[in-house]
Amino acid sequence: MKNIYSKNIGLLIVLGMITALYSSSCDSFVAVDLPNNQLTGVVVFQDPTTADAAMRNVYASLRDSGILTGSAFGLSYRLGCYADELDFYGSASNSTYDFYNNSLLPLNQAIKTYWNTTYNQVYAVNAVLEGITASTKIPKEDANRLKGEALFVRAFLHFYMVNLYGDVPYITTTDYQLNKSVSRKTTQEVYQLIISDLEAASTLLPENYYGSGRARPNKATVLALMARVYLYTEAWGEAANAASAVLNQTSLYTDEPDIKKVFLKGCKETIWQLTPNPEGKNTFEAASFTILAAPPANVALTESLVQSFSNTDLRKTAWIGSITNNTTRFYFAKKYSQYNPGSVSTEYSIIFRLAEIYLIRAEARAHQGETINALDDLNHVRQGAGLVPLNGLNQQQLLTAIMKERRWELFTEFGHRFFDLKRTGTLDAELEGSKLGWDSTDRLFPIPEDELSLNPNLLPQNTGY
Amino acid sequence: MKNSSHFKPWVVQVLPKIYSLFFLCCLSGVYAQNKTITGIVTDDNGALAGVSIILKSRPLATLTDEKGNYAIIAGSNDILVFSFMGYKSVEIAVTNHSIINVHLREDATTLKEVTINAGYYTVKEKESTGSIARITAKDIETQPVTNVLATMQGRMAGVSITQETGTPGGGFNIKIRGLNSLRTDANVPLYVIDGVPYASDPIGYSQTSSVFPNVTSPLNSIDPDAIESIEVLKDADATAIYGSRGANGVVLITTKKGKSGKTQFNFNASTGAGKATAFAKLMNTSQYLAMRKQAYANDGIPTYPANAYDTNGTWDVNRYTDWQKELMGGTASFSSLQGSVSGGTEQTQFLFGGNYKEQGTVYPADFLYHKGGVLLNLGHTSTDKRFRLTVAANYTVQNNNQAAADLTIDGRSLAPNAPALYDAEGNLNWENNTFGNPLRFLNAEHRSKTNDLIANTLVSYQIFSKLQIKSSFGYTDTNHTETRTSPSTINNPSFGITSESSALFVTKTARRSWIIEPQLNFSTLWGNGHLDALLGSTFQQQLTTRLSQNGIGFTSNGLIYDLASASIRQVFLSDEVVYKYAALFGRINYDWKQRYIINFTGRRDGSSRFGPENRFAFFGAVGTAWIFSKEAFLQNSEILSFGKLRASYGSTGNDQIGDYQFLNTYSSSGQSYQNVAGLQPTRLFNPEFSWETNKKLEAALELGFFNDRIMLTAATFMNKSSNQLVGIPLPGTTGFSSIQANLNAVVENTGLEFTLQTKNRTGTNFKWSTDFNISILKNKLVDFPDLEASTFSQRYRIGQPLNISLVYVYKGVNPVTGIYEFVDSNGDGQITFPEDKQKVVDLNPKFFGGLQNQLQYKNWNLSFLFQFVKQKNTNISIGAAGRRNYNQPVRFVDSWQQQGDSANYQKFTTGTNSQVMNAQTLYENSDAMIVDASFIRLKNISISYAIPLPRTAIKCKVYVEAQNLLTFTPYKDGDPEFIKSGFLPPLKMINSGVQFQF
Repeated sequence: MKNIYSKNIGLLIVLGMITALYSSSCDSFVAVDLPNNQLTGVVVFQDPTTADAAMRNVYASLRDSGILTGSAFGLSYRLGCYADELDFYGSASNSTYDFYNNSLLPLNQAIKTYWNTTYNQVYAVNAVLEGITASTKIPKEDANRLKGEALFVRAFLHFYMVNLYGDVPYITTTDYQLNKSVSRKTTQEVYQLIISDLEAASTLLPENYYGSGRARPNKATVLALMARVYLYTEAWGEAANAASAVLNQTSLYTDEPDIKKVFLKGCKETIWQLTPNPEGKNTFEAASFTILAAPPANVALTESLVQSFSNTDLRKTAWIGSITNNTTRFYFAKKYSQYNPGSVSTEYSIIFRLAEIYLIRAEARAHQGETINALDDLNHVRQGAGLVPLNGLNQQQLLTAIMKERRWELFTEFGHRFFDLKRTGTLDAELEGSKLGWDSTDRLFPIPEDELSLNPNLLPQNTGY
Repeated sequence: MKNSSHFKPWVVQVLPKIYSLFFLCCLSGVYAQNKTITGIVTDDNGALAGVSIILKSRPLATLTDEKGNYAIIAGSNDILVFSFMGYKSVEIAVTNHSIINVHLREDATTLKEVTINAGYYTVKEKESTGSIARITAKDIETQPVTNVLATMQGRMAGVSITQETGTPGGGFNIKIRGLNSLRTDANVPLYVIDGVPYASDPIGYSQTSSVFPNVTSPLNSIDPDAIESIEVLKDADATAIYGSRGANGVVLITTKKGKSGKTQFNFNASTGAGKATAFAKLMNTSQYLAMRKQAYANDGIPTYPANAYDTNGTWDVNRYTDWQKELMGGTASFSSLQGSVSGGTEQTQFLFGGNYKEQGTVYPADFLYHKGGVLLNLGHTSTDKRFRLTVAANYTVQNNNQAAADLTIDGRSLAPNAPALYDAEGNLNWENNTFGNPLRFLNAEHRSKTNDLIANTLVSYQIFSKLQIKSSFGYTDTNHTETRTSPSTINNPSFGITSESSALFVTKTARRSWIIEPQLNFSTLWGNGHLDALLGSTFQQQLTTRLSQNGIGFTSNGLIYDLASASIRQVFLSDEVVYKYAALFGRINYDWKQRYIINFTGRRDGSSRFGPENRFAFFGAVGTAWIFSKEAFLQNSEILSFGKLRASYGSTGNDQIGDYQFLNTYSSSGQSYQNVAGLQPTRLFNPEFSWETNKKLEAALELGFFNDRIMLTAATFMNKSSNQLVGIPLPGTTGFSSIQANLNAVVENTGLEFTLQTKNRTGTNFKWSTDFNISILKNKLVDFPDLEASTFSQRYRIGQPLNISLVYVYKGVNPVTGIYEFVDSNGDGQITFPEDKQKVVDLNPKFFGGLQNQLQYKNWNLSFLFQFVKQKNTNISIGAAGRRNYNQPVRFVDSWQQQGDSANYQKFTTGTNSQVMNAQTLYENSDAMIVDASFIRLKNISISYAIPLPRTAIKCKVYVEAQNLLTFTPYKDGDPEFIKSGFLPPLKMINSGVQFQF
């Protein structure tokens, strides 16, 4: 029996060793360090360089995905098809086909992607705002600039959301507990929040551009968006004032005499543009609009748009290309023409440029009855396109002329045509004839069905869906 | 044992000498009253040589000689165990005997002696307290497949396996006893190869894995030919020892080992061919054009638009091509070579093997999948039997070359009058820029190379007779390089796109892991029974690094695989993920009179996947068994030869949530702005989530009749998963689609599993056995607090399975408008979401199983397996019928044409009728899409003939084997086995070969 006891003691010792080894080393064993491609949120906002990288990623995201991308997934392309700028030749399985047919449905994947991507971008800017506010390590100058940029981008994204989806939530925090059950704000409330964000941004942002190119929004960019927002909300006086504030910056912004150079990266008419990545690539727009062989595989400018140009309009020759297959000639936008990469990038995607600001002021002034000044602004744009100045128009004629001018000047840029028809109440009149699938309720996109199912506070669905 | 006739003489001469030497060494042993026991062992035919005689409680053993004689030194307390393969073992207590003669009876089934691998320990199948399914090399070898999961289909109760794509190198979906977790990607079992956990998390990256429905799975690295057996652990008793990783079951893979005896050579070569199992039935040209013309008429478009090439005469309206046949109807070659040499002495055994497989493609191009591997296995035992060492290494190389895209969708949708693929000169035809030739995708390639090493070592030492110390060491090293090209030649040449726009995507993944598991095994006689105890701990670390890059712009497409030649290079992803895991585990098993068995297992786990506060958790189980056929009242039963009742209950966990999820971090996005890389918020974070637990309850009855010629197992189980760890879906307004958190939801899986094995004929010339298994599983969401208000409100229903769809209720086509109609449940006059989209359809299989027969007549062997699955699945949808350049299933011929028609399908549209388009979307989300997709499949059939070669030791066998040869199904749209629609169906393979053994 003794033998057995001594064996059991031996056993107990070994048992004890295994357990001891386990318990002493275990807790520390399963602790892991941060992976080498990640930083904690707190650390990012301890250093102006990493804080700036967080903001840069927002611009990269705007450029590559969501509503502002120049690719075939962005608004320039799809709203061009949705309104009357582009004819779609691609496959029926392509999601743009539903835009072209005005047959968007709440389950449409593209509609959901716009919604989700935009709010993801909003999250990122809110995270920058919160990170900078909580940090004590960022120099004031950088902190103000980054906050200003974040507020501007937040306002800018909500501006598109309210125009595409109607009443939408306005997200100002990263707290998912709050954001998961938000309700829609009225269009008027959304615009008020946009304005207040823009007002804050304009006091925070510097007059000059940060970094190379005009790739980061400055104070004038904020004013440019303000001018557009006031125009959309028919606050004519404010719109004209904001536009003037931009146009008066003559040291920064001057007319480009050569119309072929307007969309090159160094153009002085540019107010804000997005740089491609990596250096050497050019814009997505060039690749999505250029027709390489006829008949086109994707999109072509509509006959009605091409025919509406005067033959002396320099924009018709400089910004529109064409290709034929011997029976038919197809036209395409070639504002951006570099669809191949090169050793250096020559074209950046321009979001705000001077001509729009002239046209905003022209329209605002026309509504205020300042027809002479309005005509001046309109003719300024016409002159650039090599067109004769207009004279002696009454207010209504002037407004009609401005709308035409906007169509010629801003075609295939971020859905201007669609938004202009919409805000002037002329969508149905203009599109019912040319678009078979057009319905009056198509002025708003449907709220994505998944979104309604995840957050019933967003109900009801927009009418018509 | 087939080779026992070669084995016997050698054994008889040498082994007794070794053994006598051995027990001389032990003479100075511990027991004072030792004496020499002698005797003779016989069977019905006389003396039996080579029978092993061991002392039950001590490492002492011997063998009988040619005349059946043996001698062994034992004490009066010892029990002698006489065993010989194919015979029933006999145990006799020594007491005061000095001569013990034994008569061994042949075992009608060898089942009794079947020892199954339970992971950290082995257990005799008949004494097991847990639920373990098993297949062996015998069944695996006859299947011409390259993926290990394919070999298990239809053969294991409770294990449901679905092939995701017919493209070689593609994955399989496996569910062991249903879905436990609300997270769809967290229902995978733990894989353990020779004791080393093998991470099944995908390798590769979505950018480069585009040909597959899912990112590449590493499981392809395991070669079916190297496998000796696969055990699937299902209940708490078997899985609790795997703790946090056992919730979804454990798949144990044991590779082949050498056996002592004559050196054996084995060589096997086969070749065959495969074709896609089934295609959808689609419209022909006249049906198609009639549909298109009607669509324009319905939409009020009098002239066909310029871009309606199919209808307006641009394309030949008399042309017809069966595009599925044209694009995917080819024959894929298959060949396999395999060789091994094995043997050794009683002390040292080895096996060295190699194998090579090659599979072609059904696409009209030369794509090949190659897979080769070597396997080395060494085992050594010291002369005193106290020290044992086994080393196994398995190295596999895969080289997969495929098209970068699956052509299934093109095959289904291309207009049947679309132009020829090639022009007169043999170049791709673009029909004057009106045709996006689908073969352009074959110019883009997917290539992957995977090198995989799995090595393990097991060292054990018997310290005392009752105590063994052992440790296993494992190492895995997976290197995977995956590329996808997008050359300029995927474009119509008239676009003038040059190699300046060609692109290359490269992903390199390296995953290395090591594991050390020191263990103590204690084994003793105690009372009238036998006590086994195990205590061990685990330390594991896994490091995964991924680098995904992109190059654009090459001076020539010939340089496209050289990233350095790209004019623009980008890094999408460069990350390093560390997973650490530590555990303490144990087992106590007590077996009283070999009748009553109780088995306790437990494990305390720590995982780096959880935040510091929640890292540790305990899991445990108890299993019991009563072998009632050993009770006195049944001992001499003529009918019942075996009877066991077993039950188990316990908990396991699940930590499949990905790494670092509890941290609030920014990560590099891979995208630069103004030439500086951006940082993006990685996720919404929650530092507080913790372990998901799964409680499993099982009861089973195992019966053997007529000397075990009929074996029946019936098992019932109930598993409950709670504290569900879920990526809770969030609305887009939060910026993300989900957040990790524990949810107080309970998911219940219940089921019945039956297996029946019968030996219908056991004669010497004719043998016939049948194996049948069926599983009836039910999955139910039991509890979900506040489901209505949660973001899951339109995804789950309490009392229903997880894998449901909520759909609209289809009513029919309105004969007046010609548009689909649906039930307006809330009566508000319109079809609205979510109110009217509330019908529940269950997409889980109702039951599934397999029926296998094995027949042997003289030298002929035939085996065949029918797999059956009762399930529903979705019809394919190619969108609204009538749209440009989109073919449809032929059933759409029955569409509404004019007022008063009672048609099955609504009227055609070119896409401009938004009412029809809207109804189409509702239809695709209605119960009309859910159809019976049950099937019975002749999963495997193999016929072999052993060529008699008299007076040589060479065994030669020729065989023909086939996989998926026949399928019976009511499903109309192609093959019913798929998870995501639009990928190549499984292939049916026929293969013939020859095997030599000497």
